[in-house]
Amino acid sequence: MKLLTHNLLSSHVRGLRPGGGFPLQIQASEVRVRPVPFNAAFVARLVPRLRWAALLEAAESLGHPSELPPEPAADYEGDESFLRRVHHILLEVEVLEGVLQCPDSGRRFPISRGIPNMLLSEEEA
Amino acid sequence: MAASSQITSMEVKTSKGHLKVHKMKKKVLRKQVRAQHTLMRHEGIECISHPTQSLVIANAGLGNGMSRQQLLRIVEEYGLVETLLMPPNKPYSFVKYGTTEEAKKAFDALNGKEVTLEDFGQNIVLYINFVEKVFWQNAVPTSLPPGLMVIEKIISPEEERRMLESIDWIGDEDTQNAQKTLKHRRVKHFGYEFCYDNNNVNKDKPLPGGLPEICDLFLEKCLKQGYIEHKPDQLTVNQYEPGQGIPPHIDTHSAFEDKIISLSLGAEIVMDFKHPDGHTVAIMLPRCSLLVMAGESRYLWTHGITPRKYDIIQASELGQKVGTITADVGDLTLNRRETRTSFTFRKVRRSPCNCIYPSVCDSQKGQQRQVQPSFPHNDMEASKLEQEYVHKVYEEIATHFSSTRHSPWPRIVEFLRSLPKGSIVADVGCGNGKYLGINKDLYMVGCDRSKNLADICGEKNFQAFVCDALSVPIRSGSCDACISIAVIHHFSTVERRLATICELARLLRPGGTALIYVWAMEQEYKNQKSKYLKEKNDSKDKEEEINIGGVQRPLSDQMPDSSSQDSACSDRLLNDLNDEGCAAKLVADSRLPVHTNRTSFHSQDLLVPWHLKGGTKKKGESIDTVSSPAGSKESQELSPVFHRYYHVFCEGELEAACRSLDCVRVQKSYYDQGNWCVVLEKL
Repeated sequence: MKLLTHNLLSSHVRGLRPGGGFPLQIQASEVRVRPVPFNAAFVARLVPRLRWAALLEAAESLGHPSELPPEPAADYEGDESFLRRVHHILLEVEVLEGVLQCPDSGRRFPISRGIPNMLLSEEEA
Repeated sequence: MAASSQITSMEVKTSKGHLKVHKMKKKVLRKQVRAQHTLMRHEGIECISHPTQSLVIANAGLGNGMSRQQLLRIVEEYGLVETLLMPPNKPYSFVKYGTTEEAKKAFDALNGKEVTLEDFGQNIVLYINFVEKVFWQNAVPTSLPPGLMVIEKIISPEEERRMLESIDWIGDEDTQNAQKTLKHRRVKHFGYEFCYDNNNVNKDKPLPGGLPEICDLFLEKCLKQGYIEHKPDQLTVNQYEPGQGIPPHIDTHSAFEDKIISLSLGAEIVMDFKHPDGHTVAIMLPRCSLLVMAGESRYLWTHGITPRKYDIIQASELGQKVGTITADVGDLTLNRRETRTSFTFRKVRRSPCNCIYPSVCDSQKGQQRQVQPSFPHNDMEASKLEQEYVHKVYEEIATHFSSTRHSPWPRIVEFLRSLPKGSIVADVGCGNGKYLGINKDLYMVGCDRSKNLADICGEKNFQAFVCDALSVPIRSGSCDACISIAVIHHFSTVERRLATICELARLLRPGGTALIYVWAMEQEYKNQKSKYLKEKNDSKDKEEEINIGGVQRPLSDQMPDSSSQDSACSDRLLNDLNDEGCAAKLVADSRLPVHTNRTSFHSQDLLVPWHLKGGTKKKGESIDTVSSPAGSKESQELSPVFHRYYHVFCEGELEAACRSLDCVRVQKSYYDQGNWCVVLEKL
């Protein structure tokens, strides 16, 4: 699970408050860093879609502090070194084993071999 | 063809001698040519008449007892060996030299040469031919069966020795005599007697004495490490002499709990695991190692030991390396067997098994036959139906299913390629990830209800997770696009199908688009038969066999089922469409019909069979007079039939459902190879 994927994931346990269940807290037991070819245009297009604070928090929790600013600067599209840092944290850091925890319900979702299991039981859905 | 120099050196200076030599030369030539024909006819290997750097050596293969070490020594003599390939179980090998001259030298020296196989003392004759190039398709590296673990060095050699010594093999005379005559492996039970008639234990009659004390410490360690959850109460000790084995089997579900552990003592051995879809994985079990079988590897895969005197293992990892033995033909050799003893610890099961593999479960099989599924009347019934006839099935057939899903459909590819670079795309019901890697300019995330299918995506390094299409854990409005291919037709009520479309819409940002494909009732549309129906006429296969080793034949993903031409639906206004409208609607309360593959659909709600058949593996034929050592007997094929629930859509039905939502507009609506398709845009 890459951090970009994590940025999209949200707990869907029934009965959460509006806007609840995001972001999922990561407890990783195995993290892998794998190089991915950098494409500035690709990354620039992704930046506005991200929940930025959640991304920074996720990177921290994995022990990969991202050296990114609290908010993207206005001219981020032209800033290659910024884009490269975003690229690294979004696409090159993967959680292979661990747990995602819903911040509101406490429900834990396991991650195994890079695949989170978000399946809820009948009662929870 | 060059004559063997061997024979030349045997020339005797008499006319009679000349005749004799001439006859022998001719004999070698004849056999060499025969070897050529066999290689071509059975293996597709083309031998050529002019010298090249590469040779094929018949009768020097892993399949007929030649080890890599011995062959290398033989061929190295004639020049620099660039490549030595020994395909497993074949009675031939390939060698490539640095130069053609070296190859020619080897040819002259070895063609017709008699050699003694080191491990067996047998004599064989080599026949050499030139080949254009040395090539063998290496198998995809295999991964361990899910739930399987091998833990090395779990006990010390000292503990191993004590455990082996503790076994008192003197049983009753009858058993001993039976064992001797049958040349059967030796077996001893503790805790509960295992009965081979019904492959179960007699749970009411425990054996006195329980498990031997010497195992206590070891079992405590296993419990502590979490290899087992409960202390086992049954132990079977098996002793295998070289040439002995045990047929492939699954440990009876109703007899024992999930985790089964087996300690290997005295010698290493290779154990074969086989999935119902036919593919096998060979696992090396070193001495003093513990095999843990849990989950799928315990309940679904069979395991067995081939009765033979050697195993094929990886040469570079001689000296015990756990794990799977990949078919890297550049690196295989033979390993002689020795006496191996296993201690298999199990916990007797006290309640019926309720695993997710009912087709191979003796506790559940009885039930399955009784229940005939019927059309669901409420959400709970729908959910139960889908659990039995969609989810459980896909988990079981995942690997086989994945192998038949490999050709991306052009119009779906077109949709993905039309999206702008940097788009975030969700594939809901992604299956084996067929579409996740199509367009590298997209960020695609797949999700599937089947954990086994999602895992396959993970193995391919795609982003995927497990969830239900009714409740996708992605934040609203975060996707530029979604696709949902051949998914919604697995939901058994109108409400549930509509809910999945709503979920797709929820994921999209305003302006985002979704592509949906569902199976059509009408398999023959505008006088054009869908690929499914066409294939029925082409193929010589029986009606039932749709899903045959998909890798060789690109099959249409959807099983054809054409709608009869009476589709009263086609003329209806979209708003009028509901389930009642469609001509072939199933009357409520009736059972779901089972469809006959590759024929027209007669009902919108039905069960479609899936036949899991093992992939056929061609056995290598022995070349000339040498026969391959007794290979493994093919185990009895498990070929269960699974039924999957489908609701096939009438013309206009999908579009109508989409139009009933306020948040989307239908951008496009079309028919593609037996499917109804829609492109939605989020407003």
